[in-house]
Amino acid sequence: MPVVTRGLTKRFRGGQVAVDAIDLEVPAGSIFGFLGPNGSGKTTTIRMLLGLITPTSGSVQLLGEPMPKAQLSVLPRVGALVEGPAFYPFWTGQANLLRFDAADRTADPRTRKARAGEALERVGLSNASGKKVRAYSLGMRQRLAIAVALMQRRELLVLDEPTNGLDPQGTREVRNLIRELAGDGTTIFTSTHLLAEVEQLCTHAAVMSRGRIVRQSTMADLRSELRPRLVVRTPDPQQAEKTLTSLGLTDVRRQDDVVEGDPGELPIDKLAAALVAADVRIHAFGLQHPSLEDAFVALTGEGFDVAE
Amino acid sequence: MSPSETATTVTRPLPARPSAGRHAVALFASELHLVFGRARTWVTLAVLAGVPVLVGVAIRLSGSEGGTEGFIGQVAGNGFFLIVASLALSLPFFLPTAVTVVSGESLAGEASLGTLRNMLTAPAGRSRLLAAKMVALAVFCLTATMVIWLSGLIAGVVLFPVGDVVLLSGTTVSLADGLLRAFGIAILIALSLLGLAGIGLFVSSLTSTPLAAMAATFGAFIVLGILGAIPQIDVIHPWLLMYGWTSFADLLRDPPYWDAIVRNLWIQAAYLAVFYAAAWARLTSRDING
Amino acid sequence: MGVAQRSRRWLVPVTAVAVVAGVGALGPVVADASPDLPGITAQDLLAKVQTAKVDGLSGTVTSSTDLGLPALPGMAPEANQFLDLLTGDHTARVAFAGPDKARVSVLDDMAERVLTTDGKTAWVYDSSRREAAKINLPARPAKPEVAPEKETYDPQAAAKKFLAAIDPSTKVEVSGTESVAGRDAYKLRLIPRTDKTTVGSVTLAVDSKTWIPLQVTVMPRTGKDPAVQLGFSSVSFDVPAASTFAFTPPKGVKVTEKTVPAAPDKQVTPPATPKKSTPTKPERSGRDHPTVIGQGWDSVVMVRGQVPVAGNGPLDQLLAKAPTVHGSWGSGKVLTTKMVSALITDDGRIFIGLVTPDTLQAAAAKAPR
Repeated sequence: MPVVTRGLTKRFRGGQVAVDAIDLEVPAGSIFGFLGPNGSGKTTTIRMLLGLITPTSGSVQLLGEPMPKAQLSVLPRVGALVEGPAFYPFWTGQANLLRFDAADRTADPRTRKARAGEALERVGLSNASGKKVRAYSLGMRQRLAIAVALMQRRELLVLDEPTNGLDPQGTREVRNLIRELAGDGTTIFTSTHLLAEVEQLCTHAAVMSRGRIVRQSTMADLRSELRPRLVVRTPDPQQAEKTLTSLGLTDVRRQDDVVEGDPGELPIDKLAAALVAADVRIHAFGLQHPSLEDAFVALTGEGFDVAE
Repeated sequence: MSPSETATTVTRPLPARPSAGRHAVALFASELHLVFGRARTWVTLAVLAGVPVLVGVAIRLSGSEGGTEGFIGQVAGNGFFLIVASLALSLPFFLPTAVTVVSGESLAGEASLGTLRNMLTAPAGRSRLLAAKMVALAVFCLTATMVIWLSGLIAGVVLFPVGDVVLLSGTTVSLADGLLRAFGIAILIALSLLGLAGIGLFVSSLTSTPLAAMAATFGAFIVLGILGAIPQIDVIHPWLLMYGWTSFADLLRDPPYWDAIVRNLWIQAAYLAVFYAAAWARLTSRDING
Repeated sequence: MGVAQRSRRWLVPVTAVAVVAGVGALGPVVADASPDLPGITAQDLLAKVQTAKVDGLSGTVTSSTDLGLPALPGMAPEANQFLDLLTGDHTARVAFAGPDKARVSVLDDMAERVLTTDGKTAWVYDSSRREAAKINLPARPAKPEVAPEKETYDPQAAAKKFLAAIDPSTKVEVSGTESVAGRDAYKLRLIPRTDKTTVGSVTLAVDSKTWIPLQVTVMPRTGKDPAVQLGFSSVSFDVPAASTFAFTPPKGVKVTEKTVPAAPDKQVTPPATPKKSTPTKPERSGRDHPTVIGQGWDSVVMVRGQVPVAGNGPLDQLLAKAPTVHGSWGSGKVLTTKMVSALITDDGRIFIGLVTPDTLQAAAAKAPR
């Protein structure tokens, strides 16, 4: 597994626990969505994964080697984008790429320029490569930051909010790029607070809340747990509620002209027939699949963008 | 798509990586590029290059012959002394200021831009990054004094007659000998700045605000200067950073008097060792949150 | 890497501080380790010293003087240029070739003062003022008493003066060995038997091969730091080349020329070693025939009519702060430092000596009006 943490904990000097004994397991080849509201400890976790900050306790294994001890041999195989793009504004995009690549002693200086050109092309910045980063928009900087990670073939990409600041077009491009890289066999670990991103992109997800991992599984498992509910709109809600309860639905609720409940394994066509038989007039009838958002709120007990 | 299906497949083999350390020099070259690739550095060097020009023009215009003691008083008679006088004049303020700015910027600047995290995940390696910063600082110190040397030579030749050089001991040596000694002085002054550079590097490792690092470094420099001016504590004076700074002039004796020069170099080495070690301890244990 | 391991990294700079402090503090101690030398009696050592003779030497002399006062009141004002040699730390290069060639170069901050003589001509050169003075010496000097400045910086001359002062008032002993300028030396210590003086002891470091004194250390009666330390930091007993003592005035330097016989070196005479050998000093530098009261360590010098004039700022302040004392001799102000005491009476006499203030007052009582 490219990323494994055990009891990873970070307690800041003030005593505040930002990350509380988390066990992450990121399978090879996965696109791993690291989901959580702002302030839930995602970035702190990513910094610990990359050896930028020292865990208070617990361990990190990156590509099978312990961090931060083995960082000099591990990190060249890892592309990283941590908490927004950071560059030398007085340099061109290309010069920035060259510098970060030069910092890696395993990077071949002879191919450096060519690799920078490729990376810039891949993120669509070829035309802006000679412009000073000062003149870049946030979206361009975001792309440049991804280009840094693409300077080499990587076994693992750790991307912190990679689509932050991008317009819808750019967001789509970046997601396609991530899929493409994953198709090449690169494991992607991407944090985000955008549920849509996880739904569209990821094979796996972990949900973080208040420093803890509240859920970690494949997306398939996560989705399968979202049980559809039967929703009936009727002018006879009391009758409908009674009938459905008697048919064996659980968690039946009624509000105004809507009655809903968990059908479990009951065949849905029979339910409709039973309602009609009970003289319940039906205006609308159907199964409603809950969104990931509902699940998210259920897991974290809070909405989006809620800082602690 | 379940995780187990894609778990271990790597569709393209990764290209073989050269062994670690093969291209270790690139970081050091990149650091030099960072220091010297900035307009600010060139403005600083231009200001330093302006010192001999200003001093020379002022002496030329005032036309004062003699009267003034020391190296300045000799400039009008021999343009060679413009080099030495400019170096001596730049030592108490201009050069320390320049070193303060560049050293204060070194780590705090990267931290404030956020590029420090990019460098560390590259990975540059914290100890190696610090070493590269220090080497770049040393090269800057040397460049700064060499700029004054060169500008002093050019301004001296243009503005004044130039000829054989009278040493402090009253001996006369050839201009070539004098220029070589002045070159040595430029190197000695550059080395004299390393202690301050070490302090700046350490202070810079403490903060993510370059201006704060520069202010604190310059503050430390001022405090050391004040301590050196208080006669009641003259016991500690020989251990202060700037105590031996004027020893460069001992190169202009016949023969050169090395004791004070060597002592100054030891003092600089001691300051550098202590503060470099402190910067190392700080940087390698620091949480990079910026 | 846990928190403990991280804080352990700070041991590195802490170690660096310790090493630097250790080298700084212990280095000199190691260098000064006492060498093993065969025993010698004080008397033998004194005899050897007095007969010691070298044909030439060269080296670097450092002096460190801490009399506890920025300036010595009552000193001849024209001696100002040399006054600074009596305070603070100085370094000089000295060279000597018998009988009458000598060179002293005082290494000032970014400047140099040179005094050199080949026996016929003496040159004084001041690099900061770019002035040189040529002094044609009398064909045959009455005494081989060469450069006046040499007395300040040549440990040999300084030590001989101390030997002259040795009399029953002084305990003389060989107090061990030490290494001075890389040479093995005996320490000859002179301790005043009276407690009226501020001098605690005077120690000569005598080279065990040439019997030349290499260093003089004057300790005050109170305190651990030397009041005066003057000695070689490096020395060679090879005879320096004759060119060492030659001087060619550089171009652009103002040269004044004088021919002596009549006490020409008065202007450049430093107030020779007042801190070491009281009785002899004022006799040479004073203009008004100072009177010496008492003898040995507790002798006091009286000078008339040299009350400092107003306008001499720091001195005025000093006097204003000084306590006033009264006695059968009248009344006056007392200035004391850890080495030197001075009594300035209201009737215009100055008593000065390396003695306690009480001794000064006692001397004043005995002094002629």
